[in-house]
Amino acid sequence: MGAGISEGGWTRRAMLSAVPVIGLAGCQARADHRPLSLWAMSYEGDYSPLLIPAFTAATGLDVEVQSLPTTASHEKLLTAFAGGALPDVLMLFNSWVHEFATIGAIAPVTRPALLAQMVPGILASTRVAGRDFAVPWSVAPQVQFYRRDILAAAGWDAAPSDWAGWRAMAKAVKRRRPDDYVFLMLLNWPTALITMLVQAGATMLRDRDTRGAFQTPEARAAFAYYVSLYTDGYAPMALSTEIQDPVAAFAAGYCAVWPSGPTTLVDFTRRADILPRERWSTARLPAPDGPGAVSGLASSLCVSTQTRRPDAAWALVRHLTSIPSELRYQRLIGNLPARIDAYQSPQLATAVLRPFAEQMHQPATLPPVIEWERIQIEIQYAAERIVRGVQTMDAALAALDDRVDRLLAKRRALLDAGAIA
Amino acid sequence: MAVRRLRPLLSTALVAAITALTIAPLLYMVVVSFMPRGESTTLPTPLWPSHWSGENYYELLVRRSIDGAWFDYRIVPALVNSLAIAAIATALGLLLTVPAGYAFAKLRFRGRARLLQILIGSLIVPGQVAMLPLFLIFKELGLVNSYAGVILPSLAGIFAILFVRQATLAIPDEMIDAARIDGAGEVRIFVSIVLPLLTPIVVTLALFLFLGSWNDFLWPLIVLADQHLYTLPVAIAAIGREHAADGELMMAAAVVTTMPVLLLFLALQRYYLTGLLGGSIKG
Amino acid sequence: MTRQERAAWLFTAPVLAIIALVFVLPTSLALALSVTDYSIYALADWSNLRFVGLGNFTELLSTPLFWRALGNTMLFAGIGVPMAIGTSLFTALLLDDVTVRWKPLWRVLLFAPYVTSVVATAVVWRILFNERFGLINRALGAIGIAPVDWLGDPHLSIPAILIFVTWKIFGYNMIVFTAALSAVPGELIEAARLDGAGRWGRFRHVTLPAIGPTLLLATVMSVAGFLQIFAEPYVMTQGGPAQSTTTVLYFMFDEGFKWWNLGQASAVAFILFLMILAVTLVQTRIGRRYEWL
Repeated sequence: MGAGISEGGWTRRAMLSAVPVIGLAGCQARADHRPLSLWAMSYEGDYSPLLIPAFTAATGLDVEVQSLPTTASHEKLLTAFAGGALPDVLMLFNSWVHEFATIGAIAPVTRPALLAQMVPGILASTRVAGRDFAVPWSVAPQVQFYRRDILAAAGWDAAPSDWAGWRAMAKAVKRRRPDDYVFLMLLNWPTALITMLVQAGATMLRDRDTRGAFQTPEARAAFAYYVSLYTDGYAPMALSTEIQDPVAAFAAGYCAVWPSGPTTLVDFTRRADILPRERWSTARLPAPDGPGAVSGLASSLCVSTQTRRPDAAWALVRHLTSIPSELRYQRLIGNLPARIDAYQSPQLATAVLRPFAEQMHQPATLPPVIEWERIQIEIQYAAERIVRGVQTMDAALAALDDRVDRLLAKRRALLDAGAIA
Repeated sequence: MAVRRLRPLLSTALVAAITALTIAPLLYMVVVSFMPRGESTTLPTPLWPSHWSGENYYELLVRRSIDGAWFDYRIVPALVNSLAIAAIATALGLLLTVPAGYAFAKLRFRGRARLLQILIGSLIVPGQVAMLPLFLIFKELGLVNSYAGVILPSLAGIFAILFVRQATLAIPDEMIDAARIDGAGEVRIFVSIVLPLLTPIVVTLALFLFLGSWNDFLWPLIVLADQHLYTLPVAIAAIGREHAADGELMMAAAVVTTMPVLLLFLALQRYYLTGLLGGSIKG
Repeated sequence: MTRQERAAWLFTAPVLAIIALVFVLPTSLALALSVTDYSIYALADWSNLRFVGLGNFTELLSTPLFWRALGNTMLFAGIGVPMAIGTSLFTALLLDDVTVRWKPLWRVLLFAPYVTSVVATAVVWRILFNERFGLINRALGAIGIAPVDWLGDPHLSIPAILIFVTWKIFGYNMIVFTAALSAVPGELIEAARLDGAGRWGRFRHVTLPAIGPTLLLATVMSVAGFLQIFAEPYVMTQGGPAQSTTTVLYFMFDEGFKWWNLGQASAVAFILFLMILAVTLVQTRIGRRYEWL
C-alpha cells in the first residue's frame, strides 16, 4: 500500500497545471530504439517527466514515464514481474526493496559511485544479504503539521512532542471544537500506527522474524494509544476514500493536526488562498517520551532484471538521483534529497524543513521480511476492527498474531530447511 | 368514469417517475462534468453548474507540454484502444460463434450432443477459476501485455454459441434441405440463406460482444502492464485511485467512458431489444 | 466424413480450440495449482514449489477473513438477488399494464444503465453516496433524514453497493420478463378475472406459473452473478470499510494477483465453483418440484 502518500490528489493536479514554463525544452534528439521506461508512484510518478528533458538532452535517450496509482502499485509491480513486463527502471518504497530483490525482480547496484554520500542509515533498508539493490531517491519522513491558530486558542504554542501531551492538547481542542476532530489519521493508512509501534519499542516479529509478536506489552501500549485517539473522538473513523480533499479539510479546521510527509508542504503553499501561511507549522511527531524514530516513506530507484539496456537504465538512475535533480525535485514535490552533499544548499536550510531534516536521520527499522507489506496491512486491519468495535483488543491482537504466523509459515519452513538466510 | 380516464395518466406517471429516478444518476454525471473545478464539493450540494465549464474535458483530453515534458491522462489513447479492442473482439467473436451456433443447431456431426452438453455445463464454471493459470499460460506464449492477450479470452463465447443456436433452431429444416437438394454447398447455405434470417440476432450479439469487451475490467487490468495499451476502464480506475477528490474530472472521465456505448445502444436499440425480447414484442 | 460433417467441424473447430486454450486447459491447471503452495517464493524460484494436498483448503477454512468474505458474499447474494429480481419484475409488470403509454421509450431509458461500464458508473455513485456532499443525502435531508455514511459504515456498505448494482442491472431482466409476460395468454387472465380473482390472485395463479421458468432461469443466473461480485467493491470501497465488502472473488483476486499466492487463490476459485454448482443444483431441483422446468 505504501501508505499515506496518495493524499492530496486535488492539489497535485492543481500544482501540475501551475508549474511555470521555464527553461528550454532540450533538443529532442531521437534515438533509434524505443524509449526507456520508468515507473513511479505518487508525486514522484506525476513529476518525474519534468526531470527527463535534461537527461534526453544529455544522452539522446527518450524516457517514457508511467505513473502508478499508489494503492494499486504493489500488485501492479508484482504482476508485471510475473508476466515479464517490468519497465527498465522502477521506483520502490524502501520497505519493498527486500521483497523485490528476493524474488529476483531488481538487479544489484554494481556502480559504487551511485551510492556515494548517502545520508547515514538510509542504505540499511535497501541492503539485502550484504548487497545494495536500490539507489535512495526521495526521502519523505513524517512530521506533524498543526494549525497554530487552533492550538493557540486551546493554550498550546506548539504541538506537543510526547504522547501524554498530545492527548492533553487533543482534549483541550476537542472541548472547544466538539464538532470537529483533532487528528487527521485515516483508518487505512498504516504509517501512523507502525510509527507508534516502533516508538513504543514493539519488535512486531519474533523468532528470527518468523512469528508475530503483537501481544507484547509494548505492542499493546501502542495499539491502546492509537485506538484511544479514535474512541475518544479525537480522530475521525474515516478511510482515505471518504476524506476526499485532506488539505481542504485541514484548512477548514476539520482537523488541527495532520501527520504527513514533505509533499504536504508544497500542497499547502499552493493553496495558501484557503490556508494562509501563518496558520500552520511543523514539528516532529510525538513519541512516548519526546521525539523518536518514525516510519518514513523513503523511496528508491531500482533497475529491473528484465531490462535489455542496463547501461542506459543505470544512466537514468544516475541522472535522477544526482544532486541537481534531487534539489529540483525538492522544489517540485517537497521530498528531501538522499545525498548528504545536497544539504549544503541554502534551499534546504529553512526553518520549516528542520523537523524533516532531523527526522530523516532517525528512521524506524522495520522487520526485513518479504511478507512485510502484507503484514503491515494486516496490522492496520486489526486496528480498524478494534477502532470500529468489531473486535476487542485481546481478540484482534490474538487474531493478528495468528494471521501473521500463517503469512510467515512458508518463510519458517524455508528458514528451517536452510533455503534462505 | 373519471377513474377510468385517469388510469393511463397515473400508470404512465408512475413509470415516468421510476424512469426519471433511473436516469437521474446519468444526467447528474453529465451535469457535474461541466461544473467548474471543486464546485460539486460545496454545500449545499449544487444541482446545476454556476456556469458551464469545459475545463474538466480540456484537462482530461488534451495533452499539455509543461516545462519541456508532456502531461496527459492518456484518455484519448485509451479510447482508441478500447474502440480497437472492442471492434476486433466483436468481429472475431461473430466470425467464430455464429457459424458454430448454426452448426450446433442444424448440422449433424458426431459428438454434437456430447459437446453441447459440455458447453451448457461449463456455463456455471466461473471464468475467474481459469484466470490465474491463464496468466501463466499467456506469459509462456508471450501474450501478457498485448492486445491479443486481452482479446483472446473474450473469444471463448460459450454463451454466444448457445444464444445463436437457440435462435437458429427456429429456422425450418426444409429451407436448408431444399437448398442442399439444389446443390448448394454448406458454406453457401450458411452465408446466403441462414445469415440473412439471423440478422437481428447477429446485431444483438454484436452489441452484446461490443459492450462486454468495452466494459471488461478485471482481465485487462491484470494482463496489461503498459499504459500505452490501457483500455478506458483500466485508465479510469488508475486515475480514480489517485484523483478521487476531483469529482468533476472523474465525472468527465465517466462521461467519456459511458457515452460511446450509450449512443451505440440508442442507435441500435430497436434491433437489440427486439433480439432480447425474442421477437415477441414489436417496437 | 460427410460434407455436412466437414462443414460442421470447419464451423466449430476454431472456437472450440480457443475454448480449450483459454478455458478448459487453465481450469484444469487451476485444479493442479490448488494442491501446491505456489507463492511469491515459487515465483522467485520454482524449486520452492511443493505439493501440499488439501492443505490450501484446510488452511482457508481456518482463515477468519475467508469466512468473512464468504459471509459478505452470501449477504450480497441473499439481499441482492431478491432486490434485483424484484425490481426487474416490478418494473416489467408496470410496463406490462395496457394503460401505460410510450412503452418503447421507457424500456430504452430503463435499460440504459445496463450498457454502461461498471468502473465509470461506480465513480458516479461514489460521489452520489458521499456523506457530506452526495446528492442522496441531500435528498434524504430534504425529507428530514440525517446524513447517512453510506460507504463508510461497515453495516451500510453492502446495501449501498447493492443499490448501485440493482440500478445497473435490473434493466436486463426487466426486458427478459417483459418478453415472458407478453407470452401470458390474455384470455387466461380475463377468465380468472371473470372467476372473481383479485389482482394478487391473478398474478399468483395465472401470471406467476406462466413466467415461472423465465423467473427461475433469471434467478439462477443472478445468484451466479452475485456470487462472483468483484468490480463494484474493488472500485467503490476497495473491500472496506473493515473488510465489510471483501467478497470471495475479491479475496481470490487479492491472494492471487496482489500477493501471488496462486495455490491458495486457486483453492478459493474452486470453492467458489462448488458454491455456484450447489446453488444451481438446488434451484434446478426446486424448479422441477414446481414443474417449471
